[in-house]
Parts: sequence; structure tokens; C-alpha cells
Amino acid sequence: MYKTEGKIGTKELFSIIILVVGTKLTDNTPLIFFDDLGNAAWMAIILIFLISLLPIYFLTKVMTLYPEMNLVEVTNHLFGKYIGTLLLFGLWLLITNSIISTSAVYTDIIGTMYFTKTPIVIIYLLLIAVAVYIAKKGLENIGSASWVTIISIKISLAIVLLLAYFKGETAFLFPLFGEGELRIMKESALNSSIFAEFLLIALIATNVKNKSSYKKAVWLGLLVVTVEIAVALIAYVMLFDYNGVKLLNYPFHETIRLIELGFITNVESMFFPFWLIATFLRFSFLLYINALLFGGIFKIKNFEYIIPTLGTIIVFLGLIPETPVFNFTSNQEIFLNITTPIFLLMPFLLWVSAKVKGDYKK
Amino acid sequence: MIKILYRFPYLFLLLFLLSGCWDQTNIDKRAYVVAIGLDKAEEDQQYKVTYLISNPELSKQQAGTNEPGKEILTFSTNDLMTAKKLANTVVAKEISYNLLTVLVVSEDLARDKFFLRLIYDSIKSRDIARDTPIIVSKENASKFLIENEPKLETRIHKYFELIMESGSESGFIPKSTLHSFFRITEADADLFLAPYGTTEKSDNKKDILNDDFLAGEFQVEGETNKTQLIGSALFKEGEMIAKLTAKETRIAVLLNDTLDMGELLTTYPDPNNEDYRLGVRVMKKEGNKVNMNLKQTIPSIDVEIPIRVDILANHGMKNYSKDSPEREELKKYLEEQMTKEISHFVKKTQEDFKGEPFGWSLTARKQFKTTHEYEAFDFMKNYPSMNVKVKVSIEFGNFGRQSEMPSIGEMRD
Repeated sequence: MYKTEGKIGTKELFSIIILVVGTKLTDNTPLIFFDDLGNAAWMAIILIFLISLLPIYFLTKVMTLYPEMNLVEVTNHLFGKYIGTLLLFGLWLLITNSIISTSAVYTDIIGTMYFTKTPIVIIYLLLIAVAVYIAKKGLENIGSASWVTIISIKISLAIVLLLAYFKGETAFLFPLFGEGELRIMKESALNSSIFAEFLLIALIATNVKNKSSYKKAVWLGLLVVTVEIAVALIAYVMLFDYNGVKLLNYPFHETIRLIELGFITNVESMFFPFWLIATFLRFSFLLYINALLFGGIFKIKNFEYIIPTLGTIIVFLGLIPETPVFNFTSNQEIFLNITTPIFLLMPFLLWVSAKVKGDYKK
Repeated sequence: MIKILYRFPYLFLLLFLLSGCWDQTNIDKRAYVVAIGLDKAEEDQQYKVTYLISNPELSKQQAGTNEPGKEILTFSTNDLMTAKKLANTVVAKEISYNLLTVLVVSEDLARDKFFLRLIYDSIKSRDIARDTPIIVSKENASKFLIENEPKLETRIHKYFELIMESGSESGFIPKSTLHSFFRITEADADLFLAPYGTTEKSDNKKDILNDDFLAGEFQVEGETNKTQLIGSALFKEGEMIAKLTAKETRIAVLLNDTLDMGELLTTYPDPNNEDYRLGVRVMKKEGNKVNMNLKQTIPSIDVEIPIRVDILANHGMKNYSKDSPEREELKKYLEEQMTKEISHFVKKTQEDFKGEPFGWSLTARKQFKTTHEYEAFDFMKNYPSMNVKVKVSIEFGNFGRQSEMPSIGEMRD
């Protein structure tokens, strides 16, 4: 296996961002927002967008300052060897935890919504095996695979949301503020780390062709992802009303079971494959990043080789809990709340230390 | 390039993977349940389920078999999931709900408190679609499914789909699904309507001309199916509380913007001659305009229903198309008639049902800022004391293909 020397461009990075963050609207992430905020969940996404503008701004500012370094090197450079390594290792633990819990949830989606009789182990193994295979091919391949498939994936999503919109009832969005404005602000501040993946994007900053395309992809990606998730949350409420939406484990999958394409009913099998592809690419990117970070911390040059090992560990750890949805949904909220301060503060601290070090003056 | 194309056929090998391994079942090894009937059982907390299994072989054009088109079985069970396996003691094939077209609930069960617990089984199951329609049957659902013998739609799965479609289009039954049942019950502010049907004929002569009748009361002669789907069952908080006649159902559909409305065909007495009636077609032009004022001590609702009316039959032989003052008078008359009908029914919902099936709580939501405020207001509790004003505004469409009528008096001189 060779280390990918090739770089990715704006469109590849953009597609990766959309797939990694945007796919969240199809799993149990909406549940976290619906549980606390009811029909006003979409406002939280807009607020989170505004909140994350600042950390992402500082992050891109720091990353463009050091065009030759990725986040691992920048962190080590600015925080010193010890604190930097500790911080990065913490980040690695969080990512690993996130991969384990989300992959268990995605396996549960496939197992309960589509293949009810297939053993969970098989589904889990297949999901991670495919992701490992793609991840091992390197970032360039993940990027181009994302760019090739993103159009069809997003067209299928757009059709789903459009059909949901026509079937739904706008009146369900009222009372407009749901559980109240204060609650919305509090929840969005606590859960703003649903955009924490943007930190991970900084890890591959050096693999991007140039700084301007990195900046363009990040900002455009952020905007599109926000709109996408907000529109999806609106569509779910319009279909299921504020009481019903709280009861669903996986609103996206309930939506594709409910909508119909004219006279064709049972259309979920038309959207499921696209969702699967997005899922595979999402996990392959996360695995790749996980390995890259691990390699960065422990100075492993050919970090692609640890991807299969990581994958195996993830499968075994992910299989432990009994009922993934409940365990991981409550878990995920705590996890999001823990990640939030890191996501919000780390870019700022990086920027401050760069300022203190005087690197901006050079 | 050519080299790559040579490899393409290998892609087709991947198709074999698509069948899945554990979840693979052949169509001929499955028994497709087209309708499920739910009845009360003698024991408490149990119920009887009836499966109507359709024979897929019947749809083959050539080489039809002598097998009957359907199979019906009834048995006691705890829930819909375990029933699948229980049925396999009698039916050889694996039971599948994938093609379920209707859920029939007997009135007895629908009026029971236990019903809400049972019906939630249906969303636990992976293969029952949320948009499966519900029918409430006057007799036991098992009897309803056995007695129901459509003469020309021997392919039973098509029958339910078609009759629900045409019935709801003409406004005799509402179009309602499990999804809307759950939604309305969970929101706990409006009432839910389900189509009402029966295979039993009852003799009481009702006012058919005014659509004041229920399933079973419509007198049909000839050789046809015994099943009638007319009127609706009214559910409050997941429990059936009343039956609505065809006329009341029509009004509810007209007032409720969340229910799809086709064209309603009905008759009204001729304003100029008591003996004749006008056949009219009513269509919705746009959504109803609902204005609410919930902040005052006696909350008020103002509803304006814009409709388009076509005159289809006119036995009074008046030339409405030419005579504009007459037309205005007719419009005023029809508006008054409809407003009276509707106000009367609205009053009934306030006094008898203490809730409305018109979806007005959705408009009420817009008056509140948060769900807490809205839930504290409790629309359903406040509804009976509200001041409801209804206004119908008619726009005439056409007056039939040949709009002018000859003068009968002159022809008979």
C-alpha cells in the first residue's frame, strides 16, 4: 500500500463535508433535538450554525497561517509536545467513541428497518469491512468517490424532502417557538458539536490542493449542511407533528416508508441504496481520520495499515451494548455536550497561542 | 477505454448480492395478508384477529387455477406480531403484512378502552405501513371480511383500494389512515374520523335525499356486494364515541383542510318549487379561511368556506345561466342552506361530542408562541364554549353541458 501523495480539490472536500456531517439527519441525531425542542428543532440548527461560525473562522485562520501543517502538527507546534499530544489523544478518544456509537446505531437502522432477520454481527461486519476497504485506499479515493456519488445521493434526498413537504402540513410547525426560546438557545449551545466534524477536516488540511480551496469548501459545506439539516427537520415535523416526531427513532427512515411516488408505494427501497453509499463513505472517512490522528500522535508514518485493526476493534466494542438506540442516544447527548466545549474552545485557543507566539507577524 | 468496457459485465455478478441472505424469501413462500380484522375476544386484554389472505395466482391471466381467490382465518391472539406465527399452524406459507391494504376494526372493539393499546402494535411492526387505512365495521370484523364479496373485483386487494378511493372522493367517507389516527390522537386536540362500513342491511327508512344515512341503510336492489361504506366513526382520544351520517361526514370533510376532498355530489331542494331538487357538485376552490380570537373570554372562530358549485340536475327547468337576478337568488339560497347545515353540525360537535373533527386546532396553534402555552390553553376543552361562526361563499361554475332548458309549459300546451 502506498501513501496517497495526491491532493484533493474543493469539490472533493466539499462532498466529504456534506457526506460526513449531512448524513447525520438520517440517523438518530434529529431525535436529540426533537426530544428537547419539539417542532422548533430546526431553529436550533440555525443557531448552531451561527455559534459555530466563530470556531470555524478561527480554525481556518490558524490553518491558513500554517499552510504546511495539518491539525496534528499545528497543535503540537502551538501547545508544545506534552499538552498537544494529550489534547490530540483526547480528541482521538472522542472520535473513536463517536465512530463506535454511530456505527452501532447505523447497524441498528439497517437491522430494524430493513433486514430484520439478518444477524446484527453480519451487518456490522459488512458495514465496517466496506468502510475499511475504502478508507485503506486513501483520502484521494474517498474524495473522488464522494464527489462521484454526492449528486445522486443529494438528488434522492431532495426528492424525499420534497415529497415529505407536499404530503406534510405547514401548520404542524406552529407554535413557532416550540418549547420556548430560552430552551432553544440552551440546547443549541450544548449540542453545537454536531458540527464538530469540521475540526476533523482541519486534520486533512495539508491534503487539500491549496488554502483558498480549503476555505471555500469549508464555508460552502457549512452553509449547505445547515440548510440541509434544517430543511430535513422541518420536513419531519410537517409529516409527523410535534408529538409524533418525538416518538420516532429514525425519522428519515420512517419518512421514506411513508411517502409515495405518485402511484408507486413502498418506495423505501429506492432511497435505501443511496443512503447506504453515503453511510459507507461517511465511515470510511471517519476511520481514515481516526487512523491519521492515531498515526500523528504515535508517529506512525504509514498509518493506513492500522485502519483494519481499528475497524476490528470498533466492531467488537460496538457489539457490546444490548440495545444500541437507547444506550447510544442518551450516550450521544452526553457525548455531544462533552465535545461542545472542545469544539468551541480549541480553535480559539489555537488562534490565541498563534497570536502570542507571534507567528502572525512573520 | 475498451479494456474497461470488457470488465463491465462483471458488475452484473454483483446483482446476486442484492438478494440478501437471511431476509430472502421467495414470493411463492409467502402468504400476503391483504386485510386484517380486529375484534374483541371473550377474554380480557385479548383480541381476535382475522386475516384475509389473497391468492396471487388469481391475477395470472392465463392458466388460472381452481384455487379460490382468498383465504380467511380468525383466531384469538395477544398482538399482531405473535399472531403471524400462530397463523402458521394453519397456513403453510410465511405470513407477510407487506401488501396490507386495510385494517378493519369492529365497532365493539373501537368503543373499548383497550383499543388504543392494540392499535399501537401496528407501528411496532416493520412491515405495516403507516398509511394503511382503517375502517370501522358495524358487525364483527371477521364477519365483515367474510361477507364482503365484491362481484367484479375478485382480486380482493384491488377492491379495498378502489372503494376507499371512490368513496372518499365523493365525500361519503373520510380518507384516513393509521398515520393520521396516531397524529390526531397524540396531539389530543381534534377528533379523528374513520370510514364506517357494514355488510348488514338495516331497514329503517332514512332521509336518503338529504344524505342522512349510514352504512347499511342505503337500499340497493339487485345482485351486488353487501358491503356498504357510508358515513364515519368519530374517535375521541383513541376511542370511538359516535357515528356520523353521510351528510355529517361530508360537512366534516368540507371543513377539514387536512382531509383530501374530491368533488361532493349532493342535492338541495329547489328554491322555487318544493317538489323538485337540484343536483349540485361542490368543489373546494381554495383552503378555508379560519380566523380565531382565543384571547378573549369567550374565544371565537370565524370560518369562511369558499366553494365552487356546479348545477348538474335542474328539474325546475329554470334558465339560471341567462337570468342573472335568479342566479343571485339561487346563490343566496344555497349559501343559506349550506351555512344552516354546517352551523347545525358544528353545534352538535360542541354539545354532543365536545370536540371537532375539522382540524381547527392547527389554526389555533398559530396563536401561541410555545407548545406550553398552547397545551395549557387546551383547545379541546375550550372548544364547546367557543363562539363559532360559519360562512359559505359560493361561486358558480357551469350549469351542465346544455345550460339552457326549454320551457316545459310551452311544450305541453
